[in-house]
Amino acid sequence: MNALTRKLARTIRSTKGQFLAVVAVVTLGIAVYISMGTAYLNLHQSQEAFYRENNFADYYFHVVRAPQQVVRQIEALPGVANATGRIQTDVPLLKADNQRATARLVSCPMPMETEVNRLHLLTGRLFDRYPQGGGVEVLIDPQYAAANSLGPGDTLNVVVGGQRVPLTVVGTATSPEFIYPIKDSATLMPEPETFGIIMLPHHQAQQLLNLSGQINQVVLQLAPGADGEQVAAAVKEILEPYGNLSSYPRDQQLSHAVMQAELDGLRASAIILPIVFLGIAAGIQFILLGRIVKAQRLQIGIMKALGYNNRQIMLHYTGYALAVAVVGAVLGSLLGLLVASGLSQLYAQFINLPETLSGVNLTAIAYGFLLSLGVGTLAGLIASRGVVGINPAESMRPEPPKSGRKALLERWSWLWARLNLTWRLGLRTISRNRTRFALTLVGVVFAVGMLVVAFSTNDSVGYMLQRHFYQDQDYDYLVHFTTPVHEREIASITRLDGVLRAEPLLQVPVRIQFAGRSEDEVLVGLPPDATMRTLVTKTGRTLPVPEAGMILNERTAAKLEVQVGDRVTVETLLEMGPSRYEDFTVIGINQQLVGSGAFVSLEQANRALQERNLVSGVMLQVDPGLAPAVEASLNDMTGVAAIMSRQKELDNITKVLDLMIYSVSIMIGFAVVLGFAIVYNTAVVSFSERRRELASLRVVGFTSGEVSGLLLKETVLQSAVGVVLGLPFGYLLARGIIAAQAQSTDLYTLPVVISLQTYLFAALGGILFILVAHRFAARGVARLDLVEVLKNRD
Amino acid sequence: MTEKIASDRILMKLDRVTKNYVMGEVTVEALRETVLEIRDGELLVILGPSGSGKSTLLNIMGGMDLPSSGRAYYRGEDLSRAGDRQLTRFRRNEVGFVFQFFNLIPDLTARENVELAANLVDSPLPVEQVLKEVGLADRMDHFPSQLSGGEQQRVAIARAIVKNPRLLLCDEPTGNLDYQTGKLILSLLAAVNRERGRTVVIVTHNTAIGAMAGRIVRMRSGRIVEITENPNPVSPERIEW
Repeated sequence: MNALTRKLARTIRSTKGQFLAVVAVVTLGIAVYISMGTAYLNLHQSQEAFYRENNFADYYFHVVRAPQQVVRQIEALPGVANATGRIQTDVPLLKADNQRATARLVSCPMPMETEVNRLHLLTGRLFDRYPQGGGVEVLIDPQYAAANSLGPGDTLNVVVGGQRVPLTVVGTATSPEFIYPIKDSATLMPEPETFGIIMLPHHQAQQLLNLSGQINQVVLQLAPGADGEQVAAAVKEILEPYGNLSSYPRDQQLSHAVMQAELDGLRASAIILPIVFLGIAAGIQFILLGRIVKAQRLQIGIMKALGYNNRQIMLHYTGYALAVAVVGAVLGSLLGLLVASGLSQLYAQFINLPETLSGVNLTAIAYGFLLSLGVGTLAGLIASRGVVGINPAESMRPEPPKSGRKALLERWSWLWARLNLTWRLGLRTISRNRTRFALTLVGVVFAVGMLVVAFSTNDSVGYMLQRHFYQDQDYDYLVHFTTPVHEREIASITRLDGVLRAEPLLQVPVRIQFAGRSEDEVLVGLPPDATMRTLVTKTGRTLPVPEAGMILNERTAAKLEVQVGDRVTVETLLEMGPSRYEDFTVIGINQQLVGSGAFVSLEQANRALQERNLVSGVMLQVDPGLAPAVEASLNDMTGVAAIMSRQKELDNITKVLDLMIYSVSIMIGFAVVLGFAIVYNTAVVSFSERRRELASLRVVGFTSGEVSGLLLKETVLQSAVGVVLGLPFGYLLARGIIAAQAQSTDLYTLPVVISLQTYLFAALGGILFILVAHRFAARGVARLDLVEVLKNRD
Repeated sequence: MTEKIASDRILMKLDRVTKNYVMGEVTVEALRETVLEIRDGELLVILGPSGSGKSTLLNIMGGMDLPSSGRAYYRGEDLSRAGDRQLTRFRRNEVGFVFQFFNLIPDLTARENVELAANLVDSPLPVEQVLKEVGLADRMDHFPSQLSGGEQQRVAIARAIVKNPRLLLCDEPTGNLDYQTGKLILSLLAAVNRERGRTVVIVTHNTAIGAMAGRIVRMRSGRIVEITENPNPVSPERIEW
């Protein structure tokens, strides 16, 4: 080890508190980068590989029913690489305790190898086409299997055509389209207890559903370079006679869309957060090294007198920043890998990707090191540029007093005159060190902003749940019937003991057309005096259910570019009977956080079907004490397809929220470390460069407490502005994050809700890290050796 | 009773004061069994080459440092056993310090530097009047960096005397000043002693300065080697070096 390296090691030792504080910030930056970067790369790569190996479809087409042979015709189209015809439909599933769940039956043509959306077997064995002893063998998705403790040999009961049909489970499987298994876009998150995917041989499904020789869905892969929309138009033409229900590209496939949003979010975080942390670490090092260079002016003068050149000396001080970079990168990588494995386990609970997501990603680590070293070198070189200006002869003479200057505030003399001398001193010191002030400000603003974002998660989720489950839809149960029934038939439900209130609804899948654009939607017919489904505008005004005209949700309205007053055409997409067309005037646009819908009166919805008094479901409010009994009675009714329970949905969400607390705590921890590191470093630097000044105050008769109080005032002045600005910055940050998410998914709208309490907690958090940092930094005041500091330099 | 009378006349008494510094692995004896009495109202000059222990002696007198052994009494109060709080109170109320390197607060103007000290005591002297006395009537609102060395030292003196302390301790007050300015500063210190009746102790290696003192203490290698009474002090303007 040469002398300069030893000197560097000693400098680090003598500033170890500050060194560790910067290392902590770099560590966090790198840890975030490695963990999120690794998770992103792993997820992305396994997703791509899985899509490729299992022939994930590029386009989906739903029809009422079509002969199997159309698939050949479609496959022959130019631009189509591969097409599969199959059956997909949702049927009620009766669970062991007689509760209802929804099963999505998906048929699989055999042999599967070349088919689109091929299955991937996870456990058990593939189903037999003709099992010995008859019956139907099925594979189920792993989430449903786990949530309902199902394994090979167990039996599932589905209801098809009013008949209970037993299915034998032989294993679990997944496929590219069910990586994230949620029922529909109105569902907030996977509900594995009440929604499962059931895969079975194609011919068995045909038999079961009475669709011999038929299919109701075509999935296809495009040939490389083919124009998706052109191909889709051609396919739709072929399918036209068979009742086109809907078609969409991969982008709009639910599982893929959610995964993509998650991946985009991960990638954005993996880039933005490390930039913030490393940027602030660079700022701290800039302050710290600038101070070290100043304090070691004499030593630098001597080195120059001995013959070291500027470059050598600058590299010596840059070594400090490099040491920070290396230690931070090593610790950050370790922490990052730890967090990455936790993150992977977290994802594994929600997604069905067969190839495990763990795995050390050397690329991410290599980039992490490069990033850390790059930023460190830059910060080091910029901070140590002061070396150049040092003249060896001058450096041996005592430094002239730092030039005092007037603070900006002195222009307001009435205010200035009212300020106590010690406050004035703090303000002037800050104005003398504007760069330092600015860097500290930025650091504190980010730290407090992060606290606001972290604490506000609770507000947003609370608001969302309150609004979705108690305001927008204020029912305990939503019962869906297998087919629409006459209104009076719901009397059997309304009469149930414990039902306090019931409101019917009619849901019809439709396609809304406007000015050449079209979107698939659900037409929801509600009674005009409905109380359990409330429609509100963006500004919070309640819209009554219209007797004439339609209220359209904001997202669909935006896609169709529909304004209030426009007239749209609604085409029904029922699996029975011909399509019907009806025009509606859009009289209002409502905002809802989750899901979509086009809302009309019950009567208008019936008119669209050319029917009268039909309903497809009923919303119920029940006596809490009698809820289990009501639910049991509903489960026993034939004709009930699904029962949505508010309590069950909330319970399911609460489980997920526990995981959210984990990530919020991590974010709070990061913010506090960041804030502490910057405030502590600024305070220590300010203290160490003014040891003489402060010692002379002690000599004049200031107590240690008074001197420490003086430093506190300065620290508070430095950071209080940061706390104040951090609060609105947090709001903007939260809005930015949500806007970024909104851009990548149109499945749900997250509100920016920040309560007064959140601002208060964030501000308190800020004050806390400032005070703790000050306490650590001011420890030196009591130990200030007056004689040593003031010793004459003779 | 006798002690009471004695303490009226004797402001400070150092009784066999020893100070050892541990510098790494060697112990340096900066002061050895030093005995000295400071009389109320006198102007005392302590002379000695560098390393003779004169600054150490001054630091102990000013409550900046504690003796390793021996006692230091200020008006009968034992400072050698005092805690940090008591020493701070002593420095605040009884002592004014003037250093070779001024040690002003760079971010405060001349007036504010003096005010800072004045704020510490119950009945300080009027700040502006003190600044006028040291000849800084037109420079009050300048920052230290805008003042010459002599002016900075005058601010330091104003800062020391504004608290109206009984004891003014000056460590090489002219060490960093040119000849003319140095003499002006010494005149100022003599005036504080003469007109305000304050006790002034000046530590210097410049033997010529001794001529202005009522008593001269000479030190060498941590010991007082000679104490001389000087019945006819010379005005600093007439001292040559």
